[in-house]
Amino acid sequence: MAFIEVENLNKQFIIRKKREKGQLMRPKEEISALREVSFQVNQGELVGYIGPNGAGKSTTVKILSGILTPDSGRASVDGLVPWADRKAHVRRIGVVFGQRSQLWWDVPIADSFALLKEIYHVPEAAYQARMGELTEALQLGDLMRTPLRLLSLGQRMRAELCGSLLHSPSLLFLDEPTIGLDAVSKLTLREFLQWENRQRGTTILLTTHDMEDITALCSRVMVLGHGRKLYDGELTELLARYDTERIITARYEEEISGTAWPEGCQVRRNGENWIITYAPEKIPTAEMMARMQQAGHLRECTVQPQNVDRLIARMYQEMEL
Amino acid sequence: MDTLRLYRKSMAMLLKSQMQYPASFLMQTLAQLVMESGELMAVILLVDRFDHLNQWTAGNLYFFFGLMSMTFYLTECFARGITGAFSGMVRSGQLDTLLLRPRGVLTQVLCSAVDPRRITCIAVGAFSFGLGSRLSGVAWTAGKALIILESVFCGFWLIMGLFMIEAILCIHSVKSIELANALTYGGRSACEYPIDTFPRPLRLLFTVIAPFALVMHVPAAWVLGKPLFGWPGWTAAVTPTAGIILFGIMYLLFQRAMRFYRSTGS
Amino acid sequence: MMNRMRSFRTYGAIFRMRRRMETQYRGAVLGGVICQVFFGLVLIAVYRALYAGNPQHMALSAITTYVWLQQAFFRMLLASDPDLMEKIRTGAIAYDLCRPLSLYGYYYARILAQKWMGSLLRALPMILLAILLPPGWELAAPASWAAMGCAAAALLIGLCCVSAMENITMAFTMRTLDPRGVQAMMNLLMMTFSGNILPLTLFPDRWQRVITLMPYAQLLDAPIRLYTGEYALGEAGRILAIQAGWTVILIGIGAYLWRRNQRRLIIQGG
Repeated sequence: MAFIEVENLNKQFIIRKKREKGQLMRPKEEISALREVSFQVNQGELVGYIGPNGAGKSTTVKILSGILTPDSGRASVDGLVPWADRKAHVRRIGVVFGQRSQLWWDVPIADSFALLKEIYHVPEAAYQARMGELTEALQLGDLMRTPLRLLSLGQRMRAELCGSLLHSPSLLFLDEPTIGLDAVSKLTLREFLQWENRQRGTTILLTTHDMEDITALCSRVMVLGHGRKLYDGELTELLARYDTERIITARYEEEISGTAWPEGCQVRRNGENWIITYAPEKIPTAEMMARMQQAGHLRECTVQPQNVDRLIARMYQEMEL
Repeated sequence: MDTLRLYRKSMAMLLKSQMQYPASFLMQTLAQLVMESGELMAVILLVDRFDHLNQWTAGNLYFFFGLMSMTFYLTECFARGITGAFSGMVRSGQLDTLLLRPRGVLTQVLCSAVDPRRITCIAVGAFSFGLGSRLSGVAWTAGKALIILESVFCGFWLIMGLFMIEAILCIHSVKSIELANALTYGGRSACEYPIDTFPRPLRLLFTVIAPFALVMHVPAAWVLGKPLFGWPGWTAAVTPTAGIILFGIMYLLFQRAMRFYRSTGS
Repeated sequence: MMNRMRSFRTYGAIFRMRRRMETQYRGAVLGGVICQVFFGLVLIAVYRALYAGNPQHMALSAITTYVWLQQAFFRMLLASDPDLMEKIRTGAIAYDLCRPLSLYGYYYARILAQKWMGSLLRALPMILLAILLPPGWELAAPASWAAMGCAAAALLIGLCCVSAMENITMAFTMRTLDPRGVQAMMNLLMMTFSGNILPLTLFPDRWQRVITLMPYAQLLDAPIRLYTGEYALGEAGRILAIQAGWTVILIGIGAYLWRRNQRRLIIQGG
């Protein structure tokens, strides 16, 4: 049996709309947050869980962490049913919500951790060892006596991670962990997650809108839309499927004009830069380069890396999300 | 035992965090003092004009007022999570965070708030209680003291149980919580006065549904040497347990409501 | 003059907008009314028991009427504008400085609208309910039609007066970092000396001359006493004059404080 098993999960929410004239009760509307979602995750995997807003990502995380009960379907994490065995289950998981804090606002973070230790019944020796490890990996050593409210957003997120991991959970849910962080903080955070995953074999399920998080961390992604699972597999394969165009930016030594660009590519000009968009399956990159050299003396030429955000946007569009 | 330990540690931390803003804390504590003194003054002014209420003398009335005031504000102080902070926790989603931890939800709710500003209200209550006891000439014995302690203890659970009605409604996302206020704050205002002040329907309400009369008035009247309805002495020791029973019922309903919450929150 | 007229029209628009907003919370109104009725019943039960052993020169029916009218217009006394408090706390009030209005007039219109509509919505059903209660518990009829008219006029002045008072509290709020202490204090004074906790008529007789002259007594106590006939019709002119006098004084103080606040805000740059 896999570490996380999810089978035909369904969840509907009932929303009451605003009452209109002549209606006695506010009309109800049912919204399917999850429809027949199934998947398996093995121990030690680092899985990205993506989809546009309202796709059902948070609902899945809430069900798997025991906050919500599904309408139908089965799920188990390490042999436990999250909503039925809540206390036993949550002892073994950690959850970080990017926009919500679980630490106490006005006290030094060390005090928050000490209280969490109490809540999770972590034995003293294990706590000391784990804290040593985490404070070093998350560079929290100097911040332990600082109240949460005085920390920067990046420091705060590191403290949150420490709080969610100090009871050494075997599964970690991350909901938008890098939201609002600066570049350095994001990199530190990603490095840490890789370290935690490799070091302890912690299974990590990551929901995010930041595609760089996904490319940096996850080899496997699941795509969710309108409550259905639309894709589950290798990230590279998913990208290849929608990676249908390349962009080249070129500069020439001299003014060039009226070049015969190949059929089917788009050319724009931005100051000295020529920006050429083409589909590699129609025009091989080698041919494209040859044509560009014929046009004049190339001073500089860059092939832009695939823009993951754009790919995903295209994918969402094509899947009609 | 373990739960108590967690509660103690949480309280220590919350106090520490409130002391981060000493000036504000002091100001609000004083404000509470003024407010509760105002309530007491109303009783004093009434006594000044009317002298007595049925068979109850001025001292008796201060005694009842003090008992209610001490008990109510002890609850507001130590069970702030239920008496004041709960609806906010539901709205802000903090309740979700509590569900992610391997402890009982109610325990964690109680561990997440404390209101030490109420200390001055409790002091006003204690003052009124002491004054009432002197004016009424109560000859204190160990038995009487125990009965009063029992009354305060059971009153704590009673008041918390009543506030849990509000919490339960809140979990079911019912908006009109003012109705629940009629039992909690309304109960406090009414039962500052002994129960025989009120006509039958109110008497029933505060005996059967929100049993302030059983928890506070029966033992207090016995201590004052004027047993309510002429009931025998042993009733003073037994009836306060009604508070615990009410809490027990509310606890079960709360647990049920939490299951409902988990299946509908968004 | 034209300018003044135009700004009055603007205040009118603010007033109407807040009034409409206030009507949106019908559910809360119903719950509030039920709760208030309950408190009224409890208070009357206490006074009935007190009266039973010790009749007073003032009729019990005057007390029950007093209690019901206090409960019905309770909303008028309550600090009404949490939005505004929040604005002051977060400093978002600086935006209001950008409006081409005097801050005092702007807030006065808001507060007045909230108190007017908020208490009207609650008072009407409560008064209806209270009239229907059994004798000994009910809201009695006014002393006379003329008394009723005087009471209504006094209530309107009281409304203007309480709005002026709240605006002064607001002005003070802006000067302290943590206004909760000051507010609790003001609240207590308000609830005690306006007769909400205990009818002013039941305060010791020797206090009466002083407390009835205080501004708090002008809000609800004066209209109620006119209604029950405790203030004879011959006194009505004097009572209304005291009320109006306080209102003018309080508006003057409030306007002065707000002008100073406004100047300070501009200097500090919000």
